[in-house]
Amino acid sequence: MFEFFFNYSLQDYARSDLVFTAEWPAWLLLLIATVAVAGLSAMLWRHRGGATTGQLLAVWTLQIVMLALVTVLLLQPALKTEQLKPGENTVALVVDNSGSMAYGEGPRRFDVALESLAAAIPSDSTGLTAQRYVISDVAEPVETFTGAEPVGTSTSIADSLINIIDSARSQSLAAVILASDGIDTAGGISASQLADVAAFGVPIHTIAVGRDRIPEDLELAQLVAPTKALPGSTVTARVAIRHDREGEARVRVYDGDELLATEAVQLPANTTTTTAKVNLDLRDAGYHRLQFSVDGVDAEPELRNNVRSTLVKVEEQQFRVLYFEGEPRWEYKFMRRAMDPDGGIRLVSLLRVSPNKFYRQGLESAEQLEAGFPATRDELFAYDALIIGSVEAASLSDEQQQIIADFVSERGGSLLMLAGPNGLGNGGWGQSAIADLLPSRLPPSSVNSFVRTKAAVQLTPQGADTEMLRLAATVEENRAAWAGLPEVADYQATGTMKPAAMTLLNVVTETGGQPLLITQPYGRGHVFILATGGTWRWQMSSPLEDQSHETFWRQFMRALVASAPAGISLTANGSQGATEVQLRAEFRDDAFRPVDGIHVSAVVSHEDGDTYTLDLLPSQEDAAVHVANAPLSETGTWYVEAIAERDGEAIHVARTSVYSESGQAEYFNIRRNSALLRRLSDATGGQYFEPGDLGALPDLLRYSNAGITEQILRPVWDAPALFLLLFVVKFGEWLLRRRWRTI
Amino acid sequence: MPEFARKIQIPAIVVLLIAATVSLGQSDDGSDPTSRGAARESEGEFHFVRLAYSSNRFASQVGRRQAWQTDWPDAEHHFLKGVNRLTTVEAAENGRVLIPLDADIFDYPWIYAVEVGHWYLNHQEATRMRDYLLRGGFLMVDDFHGTWEWTSFKASMDRVFPDRPIVDIPQDDEVFHVVYDLDHRIQIPSRQFIFSGQTWERDGVTPQWRGIYDDDGRLMVAINFNMDIGDAWEHADWPDYPENMTALAYRFGINYLIYAMTH
Repeated sequence: MFEFFFNYSLQDYARSDLVFTAEWPAWLLLLIATVAVAGLSAMLWRHRGGATTGQLLAVWTLQIVMLALVTVLLLQPALKTEQLKPGENTVALVVDNSGSMAYGEGPRRFDVALESLAAAIPSDSTGLTAQRYVISDVAEPVETFTGAEPVGTSTSIADSLINIIDSARSQSLAAVILASDGIDTAGGISASQLADVAAFGVPIHTIAVGRDRIPEDLELAQLVAPTKALPGSTVTARVAIRHDREGEARVRVYDGDELLATEAVQLPANTTTTTAKVNLDLRDAGYHRLQFSVDGVDAEPELRNNVRSTLVKVEEQQFRVLYFEGEPRWEYKFMRRAMDPDGGIRLVSLLRVSPNKFYRQGLESAEQLEAGFPATRDELFAYDALIIGSVEAASLSDEQQQIIADFVSERGGSLLMLAGPNGLGNGGWGQSAIADLLPSRLPPSSVNSFVRTKAAVQLTPQGADTEMLRLAATVEENRAAWAGLPEVADYQATGTMKPAAMTLLNVVTETGGQPLLITQPYGRGHVFILATGGTWRWQMSSPLEDQSHETFWRQFMRALVASAPAGISLTANGSQGATEVQLRAEFRDDAFRPVDGIHVSAVVSHEDGDTYTLDLLPSQEDAAVHVANAPLSETGTWYVEAIAERDGEAIHVARTSVYSESGQAEYFNIRRNSALLRRLSDATGGQYFEPGDLGALPDLLRYSNAGITEQILRPVWDAPALFLLLFVVKFGEWLLRRRWRTI
Repeated sequence: MPEFARKIQIPAIVVLLIAATVSLGQSDDGSDPTSRGAARESEGEFHFVRLAYSSNRFASQVGRRQAWQTDWPDAEHHFLKGVNRLTTVEAAENGRVLIPLDADIFDYPWIYAVEVGHWYLNHQEATRMRDYLLRGGFLMVDDFHGTWEWTSFKASMDRVFPDRPIVDIPQDDEVFHVVYDLDHRIQIPSRQFIFSGQTWERDGVTPQWRGIYDDDGRLMVAINFNMDIGDAWEHADWPDYPENMTALAYRFGINYLIYAMTH
């Protein structure tokens, strides 16, 4: 209708400028208009007869409008539009041929994408030359889509598009049409990648194929498990299950052929991803390839995404914890007894038994700690965690206190402060060099904050979610186990919590409750305050077979040492199913300062024997760190050895291993990612389409601002709407005159 | 006798006997050691706890005292002052007295029993003591002499640990070195030595340091046989008692204590 009255569509008007094409000088137009208005006014006044002023004004207005319309017509209005120059531009037709495009309900996503592209660009209407590409991990130009199949093992949409636009710029690329399910196995499109794509100024129109929700599919979307463990330790793995309907799933974990654990997981209706924890007992040393699987459901389209594997290396490793205690006390005794059977942690203790005598336990050599508390970085940094008991801050020099601060912030060690008559605030630690590290502002030493009164302990919500405070298998059993513990023998006020601090345990006092176990990260390490010296009652006041006290201390100690980085380490990180991992090698000396002047290379070997070497480059952020991306072309276990050389001589070696599910990525994440495609279109000035609604696409292509464009003028003066308006004005004047019969 | 009465008869008698024993355990000034300890309750990490056991039928009494009261309260009074002076242990000023079946016994992981040649632990008490020691408690026994008292002591100790041997503590055991190196151990006599010139009593000529260990090789029970450490503590302020014996007794006590608080 609009087009009938105004010659062109509303969109044409929106994307064009209205101009006048008559080349009349402005002064002449002004003169003619003035004369015409004056003449009309004079004539009307002369023939006014018995007309009232109102009647005269109405007729005069209508005549002026008619005069203005005629003037507009004489000026020859037209639409000035930029549009692609026919025959001069190209459009990139891009279809995603990664493995996920083989899914579909009836026709495959890939076939729907090809049909959509064919419908999107009728060859006779746009005057554009089509360049065709298939993309998966890279973009590949093709003459025709005939014969193409969705066989790509990974997808990197951003890199592929950048590659296409960059290579096609010389061919006046006007637009890109991407037909895809939006699944990007390279980890999605980052903000910087999006900015890079948008910087080309080429609109990308996206056609989203597939379904956002697939209720008949369960997927083990993510698996997070430690890569190392101590023999006999309990390892906690987290699995994320993607689902589009409510129900229950069962997770099974196999170590080779042995079923290690099963876990029933409730899948609620109000979320599409549910995370569950699975605890595994790994007894034997060596590599364990753990396979996690979710039982399939009826008519599940893809069972391969129900399984993920990871590699855990179980090896004897002994962490070292230094416990500095100022007075013999039961907490010391029972902590040592709890830790004695744990071969993974050597608890070295320095106990002041008299004002001038220290008693040492857990020593590796007779000389260890012979001179008292460590006085050098090297000596203290050899430990992974430090426990300070009921001892005054003044018993250590300023330098020793500063080394403790460095131990946490630079070495990444954990610090645990215990309560006691001379501990925490009473010991003056709130005014010491480590005060900034602590998760709370301790009360001053002038106020006694230590109370020898029994008190019950409560698990906080954050504490209930913390592995180290797990005394029983399930959440409910764990809460019950904590509620059933005997009271601790004493407690101490911790002062004001700092903003980053987290409370894991509370103690119930006569005046209410107060924090008992608090923590906060500091620098590379973590700091804990356990505001009691009386957990030993959990041992003495519980039945002999109760292991709560032992379990608490062993798990707590392991948490302390687990977060402390080693001086020399190598990690291999990458998204699951990815075809490459990032290697990160860290080389520090005994004082945890970067080992400088080294060249780092890595030998990467597949379990079948394929081996290659690559160099690692120094990281910009940390002088001790060297990084490189290592391609993993085959599924299986890869062993990596990073060698630090100085003057051609190997001085340090770090090793790691990783299990790669190379080529499996396309079986995961099979739900359409329409959000990614929308973001891509919005950022580049393109438009998002569904396959069944592509009508506006040809027109969008014609008027693209990218490519070679031309300016066209389209007349508007002959639009029916203008002549109709002219007729209405004149006819209205005639009707009024006839009715009034006065003019 | 009704069935109900028969069922409660034996437990009732046991309870009454224990109650009577504790109530008879009056000190020389006529006060009850347990109530005195509680009345003057003081705070500290370490509390000297004296085991108020039941005496066996052969037990001798000195005046109105029970065997477990021997040396009370001066022994712990003097020893605790020594602990506070010589170590960093925060020791409560006064000792406490507990019967084996007192539920509070688990709040005190170190306990002292004297004249154990006269003690009697019934099955329930022995079970309690076994539980206490295996959870991490430490028992120091002292002041019993000769063959007969050993036999009597062992009869109850065997009820506590029927299958754990009593062994001589080796010279290199940490308990003899934790604070003081006690390489040259000599018999610490009771005060009768001052009058008789004889360091031993009955046929207990040779002092013996024995013990019972747990499965991890930690000493749970320190047995001071044919010696009287408690007397040496008690008479620390008596000019006639040898100072070197008192000093040695302090050292033994402190080593037992620090060992118990570290192992």
